[in-house]
Amino acid sequence: MLRSLDVLLLIFLLVTAIGVVCTKDLLGAAIIFSAYSFTMAIVWQQLGAPDLALTEAAVGAGVTTVLFLIAISRTVRREDE
Amino acid sequence: MKKGIIIFAVFLFWLLLVSAMVSLPPMGSPENPAYSHIVPRYLEEGVEEAGAHNIITGIILNYRGYDTMGEVTVILTALMGVLAVLGRENLLHHTSKVDESTIERSVIVKCVVRLLVPFIILFALYIILHGAESPGGGFQGGAILGASVIALTLTFGFSLTVKKLPLKYRTVFESAGPLGFFISGVIGLFCGLNFLTYIIPSVAPAYQDLIRHLLLLIIEIGIGVGGGTIIASVFLAMEKVGKE
Repeated sequence: MLRSLDVLLLIFLLVTAIGVVCTKDLLGAAIIFSAYSFTMAIVWQQLGAPDLALTEAAVGAGVTTVLFLIAISRTVRREDE
Repeated sequence: MKKGIIIFAVFLFWLLLVSAMVSLPPMGSPENPAYSHIVPRYLEEGVEEAGAHNIITGIILNYRGYDTMGEVTVILTALMGVLAVLGRENLLHHTSKVDESTIERSVIVKCVVRLLVPFIILFALYIILHGAESPGGGFQGGAILGASVIALTLTFGFSLTVKKLPLKYRTVFESAGPLGFFISGVIGLFCGLNFLTYIIPSVAPAYQDLIRHLLLLIIEIGIGVGGGTIIASVFLAMEKVGKE
């Protein structure tokens, strides 16, 4: 049961990681990256590292996403490419 | 021609990496040197030697105190880099997109943030202060503290946060991490021991544990408060927009 949850989490991790690279829209990429961080936090917890899980959830999913969003709000969208 | 050279160089580098990887001990094998010497020592004597029931905290603050001190300094340096490029915010000259936005913020969001932020801060303090016994510690608690400031700013506006957390207090708190390490570490130095030993030899042995606990607590609080303030300052520096 737990093993299948791990496999599911890792597959989702791979999908989100590829999604971040492949998404052209920066806002979407930042949000997918946040989902990746949350999944990673659960994976850390599954691996028995609650310290890292806390850090990943707070920094990876919370703070960096906001900083990314601020940085993106300073950029200009270019549709012609 | 140029492309061929680049591909050849990358291939050489790849070969180098692969050859280095082959010579590494097999991943996860219980006979690895890391598991045969260090881990048993940490697990068996870590609580006794490092003075923290959470062995991770014992390792990062005691066995590898210099490493953590470097990390704290790196965070402070990152803030300096951000401030050197973006500059401090100043309410006379700056405002933010949050304040200028004409969209009324939803009552639900305002209410939830107002109710939750005190509990988030309480949770952060718990994580910082309880880091020696349970998972967590200064870094994690500091990140949560910073995140609560970000949530407040995004809901109630930039000028409120800048007024509530004035620059003259933030400049002091930002350096709390390295300062905590310095205060706790230098005590050992004054007693003729090494930096970061967390021992005062002239005190009775019965109180040695208490002193070590207190010194570790000073560092944890320093890292937590420092990290939280640095995250808040970086956020405010990025969020500001010049006034027309």
